[in-house]
Amino acid sequence: MVNLTIDGKQIQVEESATILQAAKKAEAKIPTLCYHPVVEPYAACRVCMVEVSLKGKADLVTSCNTKVQEGMDVQTNSERALRARRLNVEMLLARAPAAEPLRQIAKELGIKKTRFAVKDPEEKCILCGLCVRACEQIVGASAISFIERGTERKVSTPFGEPSEACIGCTACAYFCPTGAITCEDKYGRKVIHEEMYLGPTTAIRVPSRQAVPMVPFIDKEACIHFKTGECKICAKVCDREAVNYEMDDTLRDLEVGSIILASGFKPFDARRIPAYGYGRFPNIITAMEFERLVNASGPTGGKVLMANGEEPKAVGIIHCVGSRDENYNAYCSRVCCMYSLKFAHLLGEKTKATIYDFYVDMRCFGKGYEEFYHRLLKEGTKFIRGRVSEINDLALTEKEEGKLIIRVEDTLIGTVRRIPVDMAILAVGLEPSVDHNQLAKKFNISCSQDTFFLERHPKLAPVSSFTDGIFLAGTCQGPKDIPDTVAQAGAAVSEALALADAGKVELEPITAEIDDELCSGCQICVGLCPFTSITYDKDKGISVINDALCKGCGTCVAACPSGASQQKHFRDAQIFAEIEGILLV
Amino acid sequence: MAEKAKDKTYRLHLMVCAGTGCVSNHSYEIKEALEKEIKKHGLENEVTVVPTGCNGFCERGPILVVQPGNIFYQQLAVKDVPHLVEEHFLKGRLVSKFMYTPPEEKKPVPVLNDIPFFKKQVLIALRNRGLIDPEKIDESIARDGYKALVKALTEMTPDKIITEITLSGLRGRGGAGFPTGLKWQLVRNAASSNGGGKYIVCNGDEGDPGAFMDRSILEADPHAVIEGMVIGAKAIGATAGFVYVRNEYPLAVQRLSIALDQARDYGLLGSDILGTGFDFDIQIKRGAGAFVCGEETALMASIEGRLGEPRPRPPYPAQSGLWGKPTCINNVETWANVPMIINRGAKWYAGIGTETSKGTKVFSLVGKINNTGLVEVPMGISLREIIYDIGGGIPGGKAFKAVQTGGPSGGCIPREKIDLPIDYESLTEAGSMMGSGGMVIMDQDTCMVDIARYFLSFTHEESCGKCTPCREGTKAMLDILTRITAGKGTEEDIGLLQDLALSIKDSALCGLGKTAPNPVLTTLRYFRDEYEAHIRTKKCPAHVCRQLNIYTINPETCVKVGRGCDVCRRNCASDAITGQKNEAHVIDRAKCIKCGVCFDVCNFGAVKVD
Amino acid sequence: MSNGTFEPRLVGFLCNWCSYTGADLAGTARMVYAPNIRIIRVMCSGRVDPQFVLKAFREGADGVLISGCHPGDCHYQEGNYKALRRHRLLSKMLEQFGIEKERFRLEWVSASEGTKFQLVCNEFTEQIRKLGPLNLHQNGGRHEQGQA
Repeated sequence: MVNLTIDGKQIQVEESATILQAAKKAEAKIPTLCYHPVVEPYAACRVCMVEVSLKGKADLVTSCNTKVQEGMDVQTNSERALRARRLNVEMLLARAPAAEPLRQIAKELGIKKTRFAVKDPEEKCILCGLCVRACEQIVGASAISFIERGTERKVSTPFGEPSEACIGCTACAYFCPTGAITCEDKYGRKVIHEEMYLGPTTAIRVPSRQAVPMVPFIDKEACIHFKTGECKICAKVCDREAVNYEMDDTLRDLEVGSIILASGFKPFDARRIPAYGYGRFPNIITAMEFERLVNASGPTGGKVLMANGEEPKAVGIIHCVGSRDENYNAYCSRVCCMYSLKFAHLLGEKTKATIYDFYVDMRCFGKGYEEFYHRLLKEGTKFIRGRVSEINDLALTEKEEGKLIIRVEDTLIGTVRRIPVDMAILAVGLEPSVDHNQLAKKFNISCSQDTFFLERHPKLAPVSSFTDGIFLAGTCQGPKDIPDTVAQAGAAVSEALALADAGKVELEPITAEIDDELCSGCQICVGLCPFTSITYDKDKGISVINDALCKGCGTCVAACPSGASQQKHFRDAQIFAEIEGILLV
Repeated sequence: MAEKAKDKTYRLHLMVCAGTGCVSNHSYEIKEALEKEIKKHGLENEVTVVPTGCNGFCERGPILVVQPGNIFYQQLAVKDVPHLVEEHFLKGRLVSKFMYTPPEEKKPVPVLNDIPFFKKQVLIALRNRGLIDPEKIDESIARDGYKALVKALTEMTPDKIITEITLSGLRGRGGAGFPTGLKWQLVRNAASSNGGGKYIVCNGDEGDPGAFMDRSILEADPHAVIEGMVIGAKAIGATAGFVYVRNEYPLAVQRLSIALDQARDYGLLGSDILGTGFDFDIQIKRGAGAFVCGEETALMASIEGRLGEPRPRPPYPAQSGLWGKPTCINNVETWANVPMIINRGAKWYAGIGTETSKGTKVFSLVGKINNTGLVEVPMGISLREIIYDIGGGIPGGKAFKAVQTGGPSGGCIPREKIDLPIDYESLTEAGSMMGSGGMVIMDQDTCMVDIARYFLSFTHEESCGKCTPCREGTKAMLDILTRITAGKGTEEDIGLLQDLALSIKDSALCGLGKTAPNPVLTTLRYFRDEYEAHIRTKKCPAHVCRQLNIYTINPETCVKVGRGCDVCRRNCASDAITGQKNEAHVIDRAKCIKCGVCFDVCNFGAVKVD
Repeated sequence: MSNGTFEPRLVGFLCNWCSYTGADLAGTARMVYAPNIRIIRVMCSGRVDPQFVLKAFREGADGVLISGCHPGDCHYQEGNYKALRRHRLLSKMLEQFGIEKERFRLEWVSASEGTKFQLVCNEFTEQIRKLGPLNLHQNGGRHEQGQA
């Protein structure tokens, strides 16, 4: 520890501290321009200079980079220090009159105008070099540096050309204290509705505001450290040293007794119905996108806005998109009616828009669901029964100009109607998840006709699959809403627990066995077994089946020329008897 | 491959000065002409022509010194060669018309050592000038070159070497005057880091306008520098060395390069030097046209390939220099002194000079002086002796006004202080500094405000631009001085100039900025009246600031003496003069652009300037 | 039975996991299909020994169906491939006995393909009806038609 005096105040700081850091501790204010705690001090602006007396000698030093020494007497506002500071600020004011932090310091020093020649009254760059240092030390790209000498000095890329080393991280703009560097997006921004994340976002981030667990992850594609080897600023600021760049995907082998498949669903891709115009018109959005839009942590903070930022005056909600449709999915996705009603209600709360709901049937099967529907009827949502045929912007009348026209047959009044709206929400159905087929193969799960996982029995075993120990839960087994999913999950878990709790597992009783006497050791069966449960015993000269491995398919039995191999409960004799019996009549 | 020393003995050695000054004055052509003439007379086996480094008496170039005998011929031309060869080298008769006659004397002085310019000089760093061909290592060795290296590497320990240098009192000749022995000790003690290794650097980025000391040393005796660096490397434990030479010195680079190759061939440089197991080699690094790269931290940045701008110190190069390793940077002249100290001992060296400044210093004597050139004098010699005894006084008998020492970082010393002994402390006390050794003499026709403006324009141009006070401050001061010399100065300007100068001195980051205000401060201190004249009466006392001059023609002188010769009117570029032959000519002030040509061309002194 | 349309007697060997469940599905879905098929459950279509097929024909079946999981979906990995091989070879052999190829059929019915099973049964039944009875034991087999 080092003892020193700052403006008459005695303080003690660590040996490695700079005078600036010590001043902060002593609550003495020293203005700075080119200093930033995260990059190496540059000592270029000379605004932070203070007068230091040590061992009888008094000198001006820059406080940002000068280390403290025992017995230093620091005067932050001595006459000498102030003279230098004021003149330097006054000269800088002539160089960059429009730099706000500089103007602020000038104001605090009582400098009203500059006596020196002003070249450009709009200039903001104070040549502090923070952008250059950030690009070199934090980002590791070194795409910009100073060029020219003396008063011609400025920040530039090599030869003023767009630099290949620049990775577009905009750190230079971030660190620039005066806003002299701006970044613009040259290629235009995507419409907010199409994005699930409103970018740009930081490379280290929590997946969403309501993520579980609420822990950040590093997006390797965007992270500067993985591009240039530098930065690591997140690790620097983390108190708990929780950032680990070496963490990699690991493959773990887990031995488990039961598996619950809960691989979820994916929304129907509305692009498959070109007539609905999704992807062509920015204001036609899917239910998932509307959920995001309306969420308080979403891109608009929960406001319902169109792509141009305005509130819609009329909104249409279209049911059964991709469901109940022999061209796409024949099944009903179960949840869309209810969430559409929810949307209608939210739209009523958040906007003054006229809400149209285009339904085929209203499926309100659950607790309070029908009542909620009635509430919506009272709230003034306009329900039109009919499957929407198309949505486009081809206006036929003046009233339809600039609107999205929803064309539908209103089956209750028997006419084809054109409803102009500003925004259309497609209630997309549910489909199995993207990797559904891979999972099915991996776990040997059959799928039902609607392509969701097949349960062992629709009434009596809704959470079990045909394979013992593998259970199904949630929408991977079929479209369902949250209460049903939770119930099914609970059931799957208790089945799994029951299995584990039992302490023992029932083995397959229908394994095959080989009669020693009859076996000739021809070994035909050995190669046939898919589970390699048959081995040839050289000593005995016969083939032997491992009971634990045998699954009971019976292939070896069918192939055995001597009938030595027989499947329990499905012996040849038994089946022969069955055949006889079955053809008695 | 270095040529082996010839066993041949010549009757005469013709030492032709081949320093950049004389070379640009066709001394190579003179050398060729001499060789041709000698061959013509069949004297090739008796007379040899040797190109040497700068002799020092640049005013009188091209120079030829005939050995033995030290006969000094000056201001030769190619057409003079046949006569000279025939007369002196064939017939043995000295040719007095090519000899040097001092200003007050009537008779020429044939022998070099008798010439006042040379008499008071003591040559240590320049000991071999004019005596050896710098491109032949054998000639350097013949004059005790590398003798100190052998002694240092085989008979002395590193500590002993450092002690010797410390006791000698040698101080850095680059300008700051830091005790060399102490610097070496600091580097030697510095902990090796970053993978080990220490560096030696020779600062040859001589940037002061008018300074050519280092250039001359490198052109005349590069081996002295190399030898000094190897000894230094041994003392501090360095593994590699760099000579940073400014790119504008092609001849120095060439000769140094040849010298390095020859030294390596002889095993005096490289791995296992002289079989002692000591490895050290030197690389040449060329500058790229930045004065600021003479500052040690900017120099190191330049060697490392980074932007050539200084960085704050501490850490000092002795702790953390090139690539973060301990580095010893010394000036060319400092290195050139080292071998002599080792050879003749610290006590001998400390016997020359003053209490605080030991040894000699090389100065480039330029400006309003009769004997422009390069001199090496013992510390403590007075300014008067240099200007009058060695320099031959002010041309045209004009009055001495001031001398600027230390280049753009230094200050001017007025005539009142002409008896000041030259040493580090006394010059600093007077407001100036030793600097690298530039000495610009000024007479009554020099405007001190203009001098300050000139030096400021240099430092402003060369400022790297990193720190606010130097970048903006030199411009601010320059603007004010320009206004003053244009007659647009105000009373507040002097106060502002003073404040700026002190503030910049206090707050600049490196030596360039910190010393840039010195010319302003010293001229304000000693010649404030000139500033006031420019501001209050809008007049330049020395008539240098042309915008302030008023040119008139004395009608009487014009008619009576000049008879209206009309020369001025014919030369006036702006048709401001009217008049006819035999009539008094008149200058129209409205049209006069104050170029001063009429003043210059009038043979009768009829044009007056006020 | 004597007069009127000939009702084929079909035996089907259905694998437990796919085809049997598919057939069950057809049932629970109340699908209507020809009742002519008599089902024997095996764990895997690979269990079906050619002898079973021959036995079935000997006992009076007019047609035999083996139904298993779709290739790649076999619960026991490869059993259905073996069934496929056996079916090919056996078909050739049966032809030499004078039994038409059409009487011995191999199908892939998955657990969700109740409709397919219905289709297969109906189609098979009609096909065999057109072919007519096999009458393997015309000349004194162990069981004659109609006898218990």
